[in-house]
Amino acid sequence: MISESVKSARSESRSRLITAALLAASVSSCGPVVENAPFSARPDTLRPGDLLGPYDGLVVDGETDRPLAGAVVAGAWAFERGIGLQGPAAAFEAVAETGADGRYRLSIPAELPRGEGIRLRRFTLIVYRRGYVAWRSDSSFPTGEPRHDFAQRANRVRLEKWQSSMSHYRHLVFLGGGPALRTAAAWEVQPAGLELDGASPAIASKNLAENPRAGSSVALDISPLLSEDEVRGVTGYAGKFEVGKLADRVTNDVYDSRHFKASDKPETYDVGLRVWAIGSEAAEAQYRKLLSDLPGAVATEEMGDASLRARGGDVTGFAFLLREKGVVMQLSCGLAQCSEPSMILRLAKLAEGHLPEVKLPSAESTGLLPLSAPSLAPGGRP
Amino acid sequence: MRRLVASARPTLTALVCVAALFVSPAARAYEPATTHAGLTERAVEASRLHNVLARLGRPLGVLEPLRIGPDLFDQDERRALQTRLDALDPAGGYRPGPDGVAGAGHWVVAGAVLGKTPPERGANHFLDPASGKGLHDSPGLSGVAHSLRLFFDGGTSVRGLATGTAFTLEGKSALDWIGSPSNDLSVPVFFDNWERAVSLAEPRARELALVRALLALGGVMAVLEDAGQPAYVRNDFRVAFLQGNDGSAYEQFVAEHYGHTGLPPAAAPVSRPDIASFFASADGKGLANRTQRGFFSEGTIPSDVSLDRDSKVTDVVRRARESLAFPSPTLSRLVLRPAQQRRYLVVEGHRVLAYENRGTQVHFFLDDAVYADMARTLLPEIAGYAAGLLNHLLRASLEMTVAENKVTVRLGGEVKEGGALHVFAEDGSGRRRELPEAAATLAPGAEIVLDLPAGAKKLAAVLRGRDAGGPFVAAGEVTLP
Repeated sequence: MISESVKSARSESRSRLITAALLAASVSSCGPVVENAPFSARPDTLRPGDLLGPYDGLVVDGETDRPLAGAVVAGAWAFERGIGLQGPAAAFEAVAETGADGRYRLSIPAELPRGEGIRLRRFTLIVYRRGYVAWRSDSSFPTGEPRHDFAQRANRVRLEKWQSSMSHYRHLVFLGGGPALRTAAAWEVQPAGLELDGASPAIASKNLAENPRAGSSVALDISPLLSEDEVRGVTGYAGKFEVGKLADRVTNDVYDSRHFKASDKPETYDVGLRVWAIGSEAAEAQYRKLLSDLPGAVATEEMGDASLRARGGDVTGFAFLLREKGVVMQLSCGLAQCSEPSMILRLAKLAEGHLPEVKLPSAESTGLLPLSAPSLAPGGRP
Repeated sequence: MRRLVASARPTLTALVCVAALFVSPAARAYEPATTHAGLTERAVEASRLHNVLARLGRPLGVLEPLRIGPDLFDQDERRALQTRLDALDPAGGYRPGPDGVAGAGHWVVAGAVLGKTPPERGANHFLDPASGKGLHDSPGLSGVAHSLRLFFDGGTSVRGLATGTAFTLEGKSALDWIGSPSNDLSVPVFFDNWERAVSLAEPRARELALVRALLALGGVMAVLEDAGQPAYVRNDFRVAFLQGNDGSAYEQFVAEHYGHTGLPPAAAPVSRPDIASFFASADGKGLANRTQRGFFSEGTIPSDVSLDRDSKVTDVVRRARESLAFPSPTLSRLVLRPAQQRRYLVVEGHRVLAYENRGTQVHFFLDDAVYADMARTLLPEIAGYAAGLLNHLLRASLEMTVAENKVTVRLGGEVKEGGALHVFAEDGSGRRRELPEAAATLAPGAEIVLDLPAGAKKLAAVLRGRDAGGPFVAAGEVTLP
């Protein structure tokens, strides 16, 4: 027979356990504590902002005050936990790109980490555009001094022009940020590496300007992908081509092009091939960019992990994504050359078939901003 | 004002959440994400790491992108590491992308931040250079109270709270911690993986080993960097970190004034005879010795001295000195007239203590002026010590040269003893195999000459040894014609 005292002890122990379990379950359901923001809600008020957001503002050229399109804007929310000794607990990043009006907007994260004493400790906004000094909401370049002019809403980011005497290595260290910023600033890795090897920033920049592939281990060369004979075989064209590069972008470590310019014929006989080999994440972004920006673009499921067709004037376009390889290919073909819709698809398949013959660079050795303005023009003709 | 994001469930949950809001401190203490990250970046820049990596087939050195292949991990290990990596602040630039890629230097910085992720790991960063002890503060009531607060903060479990195994103001010493088998960012982990980054057969496995080595380097550097924080070398957790719920006021000052990107450049890398002496040594030149000797922490300043009409300055100085827990810094003279005026004790040109005659007592304290001088003095030195430790861990090298169908391997660097050499041939796909006939014992400055193996694209070699400076791993690579 169990004594009353043992019963009582068991009952007490059980109720303690239940209380502890309830307490633990309750704590794990708590939302995060939001620390005081070190910035104001708007530039024209002293009222503190809200670390959670949302955030919006305008990016302008520091000299002209004109809105800047194409700037990458990244916001990072950092959560911490710990008593006395404190450390990272969770983090989120949201990325936007300014449009023609220079504006950006970052919403409050949809999901917040819950429970366990988590605090939202910091929000950092970083803005980057090639040719300008990066802008951070917490400090300024090159001194690293704390910045006091950031505001949650209606923030104004004045980007100063890059000076050749500035250090790319220090700029990359200052920039920070996640994959989108890293990709956008990848071209600075080459001169930064040269600086670390002992070159002055000015010499490293000069080297980059004279030799955009300096310092890279692999230069992208897509010439094996498509030949004149293969184009003729598909389209039945009997004329000659002048084979070169498309003129709208410079060949780089992660980008190359091929221009089959029909001799003595108008542009509607030209064929263009653009290839980005930029890693899976950036390739996905570039593909989405093509889908949203190419004229008349519609998604099809004809090739690769995703594909699209586009049509602008007398030019037809086809692009596809190879996610695992981190590659996007875009073909453009004048309607006088590709008189049937199947022709451009066959050209794309030929190019894909030759892809193993191309040495693809690693995703991080990117040399240009992949989110470039898409174009359907098959050639660099005026 | 701090606020709590509303919880979906009312009643008990809401009540507990509100309670947690009050027991959770305003997080304004030393930030691994900013201060450690910035110090480590400065140290990496001042060290030889860039050149060492460039010689090991990573031409971009500290900028070389390195990937951790998730398929190469044990599942539990992968989950544990990924959870910690996911917690890193993307704004710092050192968090790997979703593809597992980050620059080599970023991996070192990430390691320094992971050294305090979760934050309880920081309890093992304390070191009293005189006794060699770590954090040792008899828990008593404060320990229980702290455990309760940690519970609300998620840093301990109900079970830990009930059984007393939760963190109660105790920890391993910094020197024990950097060699501890329970530390995944230790010196042995660094050496093991530095060797595997050369010797493993598959290129992706070698890349993963290199990342692990760099993470461990960062973790070790973070422990040393804390030897430049007075509270960590004066056994001062209770006051420096817990008083006022605001964490360390000094570390708060550093985080707010320097952030991640504004830290000063490293002083010249420090040279020390072995790993331990970067921290503490009999000659007093370890970073912990220097910090403990030169600076007060919040909890180790002199006690306030009460005054009466007959009090003499010499008596006040004597009584203040008697209250000190450590022999240095000490007080030699005080200026107490006129009253109600803030004055400073200046040692070696910087303010180390503020005091004020308040009529009935002399009050001692640390203020922003003291913190500013402390940070200005200590931060470059800390980065210099960390760069020096990095150089020390990388002090051995294998120089490999090719001439006339022969490869010469020579043990170079700053080592005084040799070790066992292993040589590997790499084929066109990047796969390596050991050349058993090339295994040898190599002394410093000595060299061996090998015939070029047929079909090899590269030769790599690694040598593990130990001298008076401690263990070392020398590595080298050469591309064959």
